[in-house]
Amino acid sequence: MGKRIVLGAAAILLVIAAAYASFYVAPEERTMGVLQRIFYFHVSSAWAGMDAFLVCFIANLLYVWKRGQRYDWLGVASAEVGLVLTTVVLITGPIWAKPAWGIYWTWDARLTSTFVLWLLYVSYLLLRTLIEEEERRALLSALFGIFAFIDVPLVFFSIRWWRTQHPAPVIMGGPGSYLDPTMRKVLLFNVLAMHVFAAFLIVERYVLEKMRSEVDLLRREVEAQ
Amino acid sequence: MGLLSNTAILLGKELRTEFRSRELLTTTAVFILIVLVLFSFAINPGTEEAREFAPGLLWLAILFASSLMFQSCFLREQTNDTLSSLRLAVSDPFAIFLAKLIANTLFLLLTELLMLPFFAIFYNIPLWSKLPVLILVLFVGSLGISIAGTAISAISAQARMRELLLPLLLLPLLTPVLVVSTLVTASLLDREPIMQWKGIGFLVVFDLIFLTALWLFGEYLLEE
Amino acid sequence: MKNLDSVFAAYIIGWGVFFLFYVSIAKRTSDLRAEVERLKNALPRGK
Repeated sequence: MGKRIVLGAAAILLVIAAAYASFYVAPEERTMGVLQRIFYFHVSSAWAGMDAFLVCFIANLLYVWKRGQRYDWLGVASAEVGLVLTTVVLITGPIWAKPAWGIYWTWDARLTSTFVLWLLYVSYLLLRTLIEEEERRALLSALFGIFAFIDVPLVFFSIRWWRTQHPAPVIMGGPGSYLDPTMRKVLLFNVLAMHVFAAFLIVERYVLEKMRSEVDLLRREVEAQ
Repeated sequence: MGLLSNTAILLGKELRTEFRSRELLTTTAVFILIVLVLFSFAINPGTEEAREFAPGLLWLAILFASSLMFQSCFLREQTNDTLSSLRLAVSDPFAIFLAKLIANTLFLLLTELLMLPFFAIFYNIPLWSKLPVLILVLFVGSLGISIAGTAISAISAQARMRELLLPLLLLPLLTPVLVVSTLVTASLLDREPIMQWKGIGFLVVFDLIFLTALWLFGEYLLEE
Repeated sequence: MKNLDSVFAAYIIGWGVFFLFYVSIAKRTSDLRAEVERLKNALPRGK
């Protein structure tokens, strides 16, 4: 319990510091002005979201191999947190795009791939609600989670190729774009803060899932009386 | 008995079951036809723009048809309770998947070939000269759809709302196939046709990756 | 400064989403904690 509070406090502090850095430490970008500062929030959320899904993938593999309940709990916790982070990416992207390009959605390669990623993990969570039996649910969702994750690089590459054939405005600078050193440091600090925050959310969600399982067990004991 | 001989026997069973009634082939073919016609109402057919949309519409039609076609794949085994006997009959459960996905690829390809003349006529696209390469694209794409479809069918068969769940799980997974197959087909059928071998290569990679995943994890999909 | 409202919107909505997610977890956790207590008391002593 104490460790959770420490993690939570660290997360909050880091996130506030990162926001401060995004506005007061990072220099203002020449062409886009203050609008560009969304970049630190948007990119760090995207990164943390992907890593949450990576954790989910590892948890899925561990479940299929070892069948420990806690891998299932970790799987659903990291998938939900990843989905929340990805949702924020999909919200902040259009908020940036509208003033920058005049339209909310530009079919930018990365944002479009992120949307497909979002759909994949929504499906993962939906699948879980449609299987009642605990062990079967854990196994089947773990297997789908594995298929979903290996699909992710394929999704990104295919959509990127698609966009090279039909070019569109790129949100937040393409892969080769140059980043001022101070900006890079602020970005990395934001990425760190967001990862710690994501870890905090995953832990809290994991504890909830663990407790749910406990309640089910107790309920069955009470009914058995 | 080796993996290949087991697969061959099971494949024979799958093919014989289908060719006896041909219900899957006919319903899938008619479905693709219906979707192609409906698409024409949604866009302005016969124009130059329609020709540009046509490859995408073809692959969308194939994707939708496949999400219906794979419903019966493992459901058939469940309703007849044949899955456990199948598992006992083979040493390697991968044979079951291999047989099903080969059969599914064949069925899908057959329905696509049946639909090609209609596609060419509706959208006024000369296909004949590019037929061999077109069949290659259809094959590599359909193989990917079948591999993923067979795996997902095994999952959704064990959940509630399986008719709705299967497309929900399958279609996002198949985004790369839709994107790349459409691109390659479009380049092929363009005024100045270009053969995008990079695309074929990508589809082959997709197929290999999912086939490997199915090989590694297939047995768990069939766990009782 | 133009576009400042977009920046604020992005941060506020984004953190709003995170906040709502956390609050929903915290609430469900405390509800479950109460449920655990209730169930434990429903079991005979010495369990």
